[in-house]
Amino acid sequence: MRERLEALCGEGLAAIAAAESSTQLAEIESSFLGRTGALTAQLKGLGKLEAAERPAIGKLANEIKQKLQQAFDAAGETLQQQELAADLASVGVDCSLPGPTVELGSVHPVMAIARELEDIFQSMGFVIWDGPELESEVNNFDALNIPGDHPARESHDTIWMKSADGEERRCLRTHTSPVQVRALREFGAPLRVIAPGRVFRQEAQDSTHEHTFHQMEGLVVGKNIGVPHMLHVMNSMLEGVFKRKLETRLRPGFFPFVEPGFELDARCPFCKDGCKVCKGSTWIELMPGGLVHPNVLTAAGVDPNEYSGFAFGLGLSRMAMLRYGIHDIRYMCSGDLRFLKQFQA
Amino acid sequence: MKISLNWIGDFVDINDKSATEISDLLSIHTAEVEGIEYIGDNISGVVVAEVLSCERHPDADKLSVTTLNYGADETVQVVCGASNVRAGLKVALAPVGCVLPGDFEIKTAKLRGQLSQGMICSDSEIELSDDSDGIKELPADAPVGVRLIDYLKLSDTVLELDNKSLTHRPDLWGHYGFARELAAILKRPLKAYPSEFSWPDNSSEYSLELDGQQFSHCYQLAELSIGKGPQSSPGWMQKRLLAVGQRIVSDVVDVSNYVMLELGQPTHAFDKSKVSGKQLSVRPANEKECFVALDESSCELVASDFVIADSAKAIALAGVIGGANSEVCSETTSILLESASFDATAVRRSALQHNLRSEASSRFEKSLDPGYTALASQRVCQLLCEMRDDIVVDCAPVFAGNSAVPSDSLLLNAAQARTLLGIDISTDEIIDNLTSLGFKVEASGDELSVAAPSYRATKDIQSAVDIVEEVGRIAGYDKIVPQPLSAPIEVPQQLPYRKLASKLLMRLVNNHQAHETQSYSFIADDWAELVGLTCYDFIQIANPVNDAVSLLRQNPALSLLSQVAVNQREFADGRLCEFTKGYKNNPNGGEAIESRLLAMLVWGSSDLPKSGQQSLVGQLRAVADDLCSLLNINSQYHVNPEGLLENYGFAHPKQSVEISFARQSLGMISRIHPTIVSALGVDSSDAAILLLDVDALVDAEAKTKFKFSAPPSFPAVKVDVALALPVAVDYAAAHKAVSAAAGNLLDSIELFDVYSGPGLEEGQHSMAFTIQLRSSDRTLSDSEEQKFIKKVSKAAEQLGGNLRS
Repeated sequence: MRERLEALCGEGLAAIAAAESSTQLAEIESSFLGRTGALTAQLKGLGKLEAAERPAIGKLANEIKQKLQQAFDAAGETLQQQELAADLASVGVDCSLPGPTVELGSVHPVMAIARELEDIFQSMGFVIWDGPELESEVNNFDALNIPGDHPARESHDTIWMKSADGEERRCLRTHTSPVQVRALREFGAPLRVIAPGRVFRQEAQDSTHEHTFHQMEGLVVGKNIGVPHMLHVMNSMLEGVFKRKLETRLRPGFFPFVEPGFELDARCPFCKDGCKVCKGSTWIELMPGGLVHPNVLTAAGVDPNEYSGFAFGLGLSRMAMLRYGIHDIRYMCSGDLRFLKQFQA
Repeated sequence: MKISLNWIGDFVDINDKSATEISDLLSIHTAEVEGIEYIGDNISGVVVAEVLSCERHPDADKLSVTTLNYGADETVQVVCGASNVRAGLKVALAPVGCVLPGDFEIKTAKLRGQLSQGMICSDSEIELSDDSDGIKELPADAPVGVRLIDYLKLSDTVLELDNKSLTHRPDLWGHYGFARELAAILKRPLKAYPSEFSWPDNSSEYSLELDGQQFSHCYQLAELSIGKGPQSSPGWMQKRLLAVGQRIVSDVVDVSNYVMLELGQPTHAFDKSKVSGKQLSVRPANEKECFVALDESSCELVASDFVIADSAKAIALAGVIGGANSEVCSETTSILLESASFDATAVRRSALQHNLRSEASSRFEKSLDPGYTALASQRVCQLLCEMRDDIVVDCAPVFAGNSAVPSDSLLLNAAQARTLLGIDISTDEIIDNLTSLGFKVEASGDELSVAAPSYRATKDIQSAVDIVEEVGRIAGYDKIVPQPLSAPIEVPQQLPYRKLASKLLMRLVNNHQAHETQSYSFIADDWAELVGLTCYDFIQIANPVNDAVSLLRQNPALSLLSQVAVNQREFADGRLCEFTKGYKNNPNGGEAIESRLLAMLVWGSSDLPKSGQQSLVGQLRAVADDLCSLLNINSQYHVNPEGLLENYGFAHPKQSVEISFARQSLGMISRIHPTIVSALGVDSSDAAILLLDVDALVDAEAKTKFKFSAPPSFPAVKVDVALALPVAVDYAAAHKAVSAAAGNLLDSIELFDVYSGPGLEEGQHSMAFTIQLRSSDRTLSDSEEQKFIKKVSKAAEQLGGNLRS
C-alpha cells in the first residue's frame, strides 16, 4: 500500500511536470484526485486495512494528496499565466474577417412611414380607423360634399365597378376621406382619428403617377375646433416624421369637403436656397387640409352648429418618396427585391 | 394660367412691388404661383444705336462696314449683311458680350478681314417677330444708348398660376380678377373695369332663340362692320397676348382673346356673310350631326352637345369652339359677336367628349358670371372702335335670357369666424376685407349679413363657411398661431387587426427573412381560368386602367407570384410578404367582403426536396408555427383537406395544408400549382404561399388565454426515441403516438430527424424525437423512463413499425 501510494505520488509529480496546457493538467488532476481518480481509489481502500496500519498509511495518503494538490495548483497557476501571455501576444488572427451572414428581411418604405405615423398619432390620442377599399359612390363622393357633376366622378379619374341596372355604383375609393364619415358615424363627436390606407385613381403610370398608392386621412371634431388646432397637429406630426421642427405655412387650397381649405407647405428639409425637390422655391407642398365642411358633418350625423373640426390628408407614398429620395413611384408596387431590400426594419 | 404684371397694373398700382413679392402674396392669399417669367430678359443687353457711317466692305459685295454710336465713350465698328443698313439709321445693337436668345454670345470677330465688334439685329434675332428680312429700323427719335427693352417697353413679368388651384374660382380666369385680389390684399383702390360703350339706338334685324334655357343662361349678339377687314392688332396688344402665351391672329380675333384674358369671359366672332337667316338659336345637337371646327377637326355630335345654329346649320359647338363654316377670314367685312353664358357641366362634357378642350371651354366649365356677357361685349366693341376708325357697331345688341345670379344673403357671426380661423381680426376689418372683394355686408354688431357678388355667387360662395375662408385668406393665414388640442385623456379605441397584423408582419421580416412588398389589387382576366374560375366569379372593373386587367383579386397569391417573375433573374430564391386585402362579392348582398390577409410567398430552386422540412411547404409550416405560437394559438393542420381547392384554385392538390383553430379556418399553406407557376413566367423555380386570415387570427387569439406556470421544482428527464414507421404514417400520427405514450408526464416533444434510406426496410421512414418527461411532484425514476420507452415501442408496433433506439 505504502509503495503504491509513493509510486502514485511520483507518477503524479512527473505527469504534472509534463503537462503542456491547463486543459491537459485538469485531465491529469481528475485522473488522480477526481471522483474515480487513482489516488481517490487508494483513499477509499484505507478502510480495508488492518486497524494497526491505518493511522500511518492514512497519514501518508493525506500527505501525498495534499502534496499533489499543491503541485497541481502551482502548475495550474503557471500554465494559466503562460497561456494568458501567449494569448495576449498572439498574432495571425484576421480580425477583419466578417462574421457569418445574417439574412434579414425588409419593410416596405410606404408601410414603414405609415407605421411610424400611426405611432405618432396614437401617442397623441388618435383612434386608428379604416374603411373598405371598395366604396359606394355615396360615401366616396356625396357624403363628402362633392357635387354630382364633379369631374372627379368621371371614368377618367375614378375606377368604377361593373354594376347591374339599379344597383348602387361602387368604385375603388379615390381617397381615404370616406373614412371621415365612417368614423364619425361609428364614434360620433368629439373624435380624433386617422385612417391610413390604399387608394386608387384611373391614372396612366409614369414616374410620379400611379393608379395605386397610399394616403392617410386625419380628422378631429369637437367643440370650437379651428384652424390653429389643425396647424398645431400638422406641425407636431411633421416634427415627428422629420425629427426636427420645420417652418410651415398655410396657403388657400380647394377641396369640396373642407372649407376653408388649405395646402400646408413646409420649408424644404433638403436645402437652404432651392433644390430639385422644392423646384427652387424652398417650400414643399406637404398636405392638404381644412375645416370640415358643415355638409360633411351633417352627412355623418354630427350637428355642425354644435361641433366643428378639421381634416387633412397625407400622401404616404409621396412622403416615403420624399423621405428616402425615391424618384420613381412605380418601384413601390414592383416587388423588385433590389428596391425592397434597401429598407431595413 | 399666365398673368402679366404690366396688365395687372392697368387696374391696381403694384409698381412698388417686386415680382417675387406679388408672387408670394398671391400664393399665400389666393392661388399658387408656380413660376415667374421675366419677359425681355433674354435681350436685355441689346441697346439703341445710331449708324454714323456705312461703307461697302472692300472684299465683299453684300457686306457693309459700319461705325455706330451706342452711348459708349467710343464708337464701334460692325460688319453688317443687311441691305437696309445706312448711315443715320437708328438700330438695335447687340454689343460684344451681349447674349442673344439661343445662348448666342456676341464676340469680337473679323469678317473678310474687317473687325466686327457687335451685331445689328433683325426682329427675328431678338424674337420680336418672325421677320428676318433686314435689320430692325427704329424711329429717328429713339434715344441712343437706352436698352431696347426699356425703349420699346418690352419688359414684363409673367406669373404662371397653378390652374388646379383656380378651379373653384370663376372670377380668376382673367387679369381683372387677380387685380381685384391684389387690391384687396394690399388694401389699394381697384380701377373700375373699362367697359363704357354707347350702343347705337337702332335695333337689330336678328333674333335669338334659346332652346334649352337650362343650358344657355343668356346670350348677347352684337353686329360690327369691319371696313377694311381684319388687320393686325396694335403692338401693345400683341405684346401682352404674346407675353401670356396667346397666339396672334388678327385684330378681330386678338381683341376677343384679349378681353377673355382680361375679364375671363370668352366671346366669339362669326363672319356675318356666312350666317344664313336672321335668327340664331342655341339648341341641343342632333345625334350624329356632323360638325367641322375652326381647327378643321371634324366630329360627330351627340345629343348632350349644344350648338349655336343659324337657319341652316350649326355654326359653333356652344362654349367650346366655333365652326369652320362661319369663321372670320381676311375677306370678312362684317361680324356677329357672341357673348354668352353656358352651363358649366354641359360644356365640360362636350369638350371632353370630342377632345376639344379650348381656352373658352375651360373657362365656361368654371361657372362664369352671366353678368360678364354684357361687359365683355362692350369691351370688345370699345377696343375695336378705339383701335380703328373703319370699324363700326351697326346697331344695339340683341339679348336673350337672364344674366342675374340669384344670391341669398348669408349670415356670418364675426366672433365665430375669429374662433374658427384663430385670427384676431376686428369686425370692421372683416367688413373691409369682404367689401374689397365685392361682397355687400350689412352688420349688426357681430352678426353680419353678407351677399356675394355675382362673379363669386355662381358656384364658389354657397354658405357661411365660404365667407369665413374669404375673411381668413385676405387677413392672411400667416397670422394663425398653432394651438394644441385640449381633449380628455383617454385610451383611443383601436382596430384589433392592425396591431396584430403589424406584429406578425414584423415577425416575418425580422425572424423569417421576408421582404415586405405591395402588390396591385387588380389581376389579369386570363388568370381567372388558371385558378379554375371565370371572370364572373370576380368583382369586375368597368373602366380598368388596362383593359386586360379588370378583375379584383380574391387573394394576393398570383399577384405575389408575378413579382417572383420580376425577381427570378437576380434572386434564385426569396421571400415576399404583404398585409393586404382580397375582394369577393357578398353572396347575401350588401358591401363586398374584403378579407384582410397576411401573405408570405417563398420561392426557390425546383431542385429543393418536394416534401419534408426543407421543402418550401415545410419552410412555411415552420413560419406558421412560429406566428401561431407568438399569439399563443395552438393551431391544427389538416393535410390536403377536401374543398380547399375550391377556395384556393392555385393550390397543389397534394401539397396543401389548412390551418385552423377550434374548427375555425385560419388560413392555408400550399405549394403553388406548377402549371400556374410557369404560366406566370416563373421558370426553374417552385413557389409556395402561406395565407393567413387576420380577422380569424384576432378571433382565435381572443379565445386563447396565456397562463403563467411556476418554474418546475423537479428535474426533467430527456429521452431520445427514433421510430421506424411505414411511410404512410405521417408526422402527425407519429407525434400523436409518442405524446400519448408520455401521457401526463409529457413536458415537451420535438422532432429532430426524419430519415429514409439504408438501414431501413423498403417503404419505411424514421422519425426521431426528443422528449422531456417531467412530474410536478417528484423526481422521475429510471423505471418510469423505461416504462415510457416500452410504451413508445408498443405504439410503434401498433403503427406497423418498430422502435429503432
